[in-house]
Amino acid sequence: MSRSATSLALATLTVSALMLTACSSASTESGGSSDPVVGGTLTYASGDAEPSCLDPHVGGNYPQALVSTQYLEALVSLDKDGAVIPWLASSWAEAEDGLSWEFTLRDDVTFTDGTPFDAAAVKTNIEHVLDPATGSSTGYLAVGKVASVDVVSDTVVRLNLSSPDSALLESLSQPWVAIQSPTAIARGKDVNCESPVGTGPFIVTAWDRQNSVTLERNDNYVSPPADVPDGDYPYLDAIEWRFVPDAATRYAALASGDVDVIDNAQPDAIVSAEQDDSIAELDSPRPGASNRIEFNSDTGPFADVRVREAFIRSAGVDDAVSSLYFGTAERSYSALSSVEPLGTSAPELFEYDADAAAALLDEAGWTTIDSEGYRTKDGERLTVNFPISTNQSIPAEQSVFEQIQATTKEVGFEVVLEPLDLSSWYEVLGANEYDLVSAPYTKVGPDVLRILFESSGTIPAPSGYFANHAKVTIPELDALLISASEISDPDERARLYSEAQQIILEGYYILPLYDQQNHYLYQNDVKGLRTIPTVSTPTFTEAWLDR
Amino acid sequence: MTLVAAPRAPRRRGGTAVTWLLARVGGLIIVLWAAATLTFIALRLIPGDPAEAVLGGPGSQASEEALAAARAEYGLDQPVLVQYLMTLARYVRLDFGTSYALRQDVTSVIAEQLTNTLVLACLSLALAWILALAVAVWSAQSGRIASALGSALEVVAVALPHFWLATSLVLLFSTTLGWLPPLSGRTAAGLVLPVITLAIPLAGFLGQVMRESLLNALSSPFALAAQMRGETASGVVWRHALRHAALPAIGLSGWAFGSLISGAVVVETVFARPGLGRTLLSAVQSRDIPLVSGIVLVVALAYSLVTVATDILERLADPRLAQEATV
Repeated sequence: MSRSATSLALATLTVSALMLTACSSASTESGGSSDPVVGGTLTYASGDAEPSCLDPHVGGNYPQALVSTQYLEALVSLDKDGAVIPWLASSWAEAEDGLSWEFTLRDDVTFTDGTPFDAAAVKTNIEHVLDPATGSSTGYLAVGKVASVDVVSDTVVRLNLSSPDSALLESLSQPWVAIQSPTAIARGKDVNCESPVGTGPFIVTAWDRQNSVTLERNDNYVSPPADVPDGDYPYLDAIEWRFVPDAATRYAALASGDVDVIDNAQPDAIVSAEQDDSIAELDSPRPGASNRIEFNSDTGPFADVRVREAFIRSAGVDDAVSSLYFGTAERSYSALSSVEPLGTSAPELFEYDADAAAALLDEAGWTTIDSEGYRTKDGERLTVNFPISTNQSIPAEQSVFEQIQATTKEVGFEVVLEPLDLSSWYEVLGANEYDLVSAPYTKVGPDVLRILFESSGTIPAPSGYFANHAKVTIPELDALLISASEISDPDERARLYSEAQQIILEGYYILPLYDQQNHYLYQNDVKGLRTIPTVSTPTFTEAWLDR
Repeated sequence: MTLVAAPRAPRRRGGTAVTWLLARVGGLIIVLWAAATLTFIALRLIPGDPAEAVLGGPGSQASEEALAAARAEYGLDQPVLVQYLMTLARYVRLDFGTSYALRQDVTSVIAEQLTNTLVLACLSLALAWILALAVAVWSAQSGRIASALGSALEVVAVALPHFWLATSLVLLFSTTLGWLPPLSGRTAAGLVLPVITLAIPLAGFLGQVMRESLLNALSSPFALAAQMRGETASGVVWRHALRHAALPAIGLSGWAFGSLISGAVVVETVFARPGLGRTLLSAVQSRDIPLVSGIVLVVALAYSLVTVATDILERLADPRLAQEATV
């Protein structure tokens, strides 16, 4: 509530304030020295929630991924083209039948508590994620097909699967299954949540709750992923990882030089930063699904595909996105993020056409119009319920929904927007009391389609959580998604996913909006900052301060 | 038992102060009990299963079996009345349980954050008093225009929402002037903006009350008498009228302290300052019942103690009150 008002206040005031400061702030471009400077402490301000546990095996959300990228490393990573590359594992091979994988591990890596990194450590980690007592949800899904783990030798580990898994490498690249010291895990959940131990460039040395996590240099660091050029990493002495929930304050802290990097930069801040010579931007959309509106095809007006198409044709998404995101977000026409190489884009299916929308509604029997201008059928108004998770939809996105509400009203939809906190939102979803909903989903690779659109995903967990919000239950689609998840031939896999996306897009189950936004702003004397192309979290392995 | 027996003894000695104190302690216990009960009821009326909080928060993918195990572990499978009585029994033993989400002792979570919020609230209250007094004295003394101006200032100050004030102060003092850090953290410099944010609306409120009673006092016979005795105008204000003017404001300070704690939720979030307000916000969102209850009880206790303190101050400022029998 206060957040949207705060952002609005900032949007109007910052521009003028920044024009003043822009004149006074001297350009910080230095002599262009390319030799990294060693030392210094970088301050990072995170807008994501403070994790309740720093071990990303427990639960498994994005805030944990952000911070744990600095101290934990995975078996494999991705390069910028999405190809799987070595990290803690130097090579791997899938068995003929696809039912087991052997990973050869680096033999020169040690956890920061002195424990050696070996096959037994990998076994302990995967078993830790699979143990119900750990309470892993994201990591658990990633290694869900692993039936057992064999230690073949010190440096070779074999994962035995219950069924072939074409997404295994992509899944293992995620921070939620990163490898931790078995000695540290053995200390128990409470201690490990406070101070997890990995092989990464930094070490968790202190956690001042609600304020910051202190990360100090790992002097013995040797194991960056294969796409990082040789170097004496890391350069920084330490990172002060602060939690700054308010977007306006976060940007103010960056503009005043109190912090060096911020995440979750909002559209107004990105636009202001463009006018500030001392601030640079890193735009790194998250992988997995695009941000989209999902239609509940199980019940209510959207059970009729014509009504779904009518809604899409009458929703003025383009104008809403360009005006409310100030051009910082590009419109998507895909079920998948633009960083997913196998994503299919179909702009022609989402063109605005109010006349076509009206004709479709006529055809579907919503022929009469009541005194307030809404369509009716058998005396019932065309009302659709849209619960909004205020924890997940930023103010700009909520405004996009309001614009869609206004434009679809012109052809006779009554959209009821209902902002809710997370628990209440899940309860409404679990009770099937929604017609429209929007929820982000981050996962590496196109297998996210199986999670979101396979029919088994319609059954809610006791909390109300389920992933298939569009309630798509098409046997043919199920078959495609399951074979795609098991097939190892890359071309065949691409073909299956392309067919699956065609069914989803042509069935008008979703209205894609834009990629899951992930903008970082930083002082331009911070050099060597990049995001890891797995889940787009920032890494400070190569970062240094040019000051 | 002792509570029932105790009041009789001092009454014979006619110790009104003791009776008064015992009544206050009794009132305090009732307030705490009411706070515990209301929190207990409220947390069971809002949507969301507290067992989810144990297993990773809202939207967890915990199975029915895992939830059942968590409910059994925390006694959430008991009838509500049993849960309520068990909760009260634990509170009597000063056991506030373990936070579901943070897996830490509630007492230690609160202890870690309490000081920060108390410092913020106390400094804000002090600044609000200073500002309110300054405006009230100045405008009451300086004629009709000053009085109207003071009154307008107070009305505007009262109406300012904390989040707007906070953002504006950040833009002015951090972004534009660069004098103060926008992030509060645990530093002394970081306290300035949060304290000003909380103090301004409160000062407006206290100021309205003070100026009103200051004007009344200045036009009352004792002020006139003092003036006749040759007291200067400012002497009348500072030595005679102010004591009267302060009375209602002192009485309101207990309430003000409560409002500061709720304001702390916003201010701590905007200025990224660790504290009880932010802890409360995230605890409510994750349905962390033990932590929410613990914080509510601590705030209720602080509120009650401040109310007792203001009562004592009022009696010191106005001896007539001390003579009255307690109800």
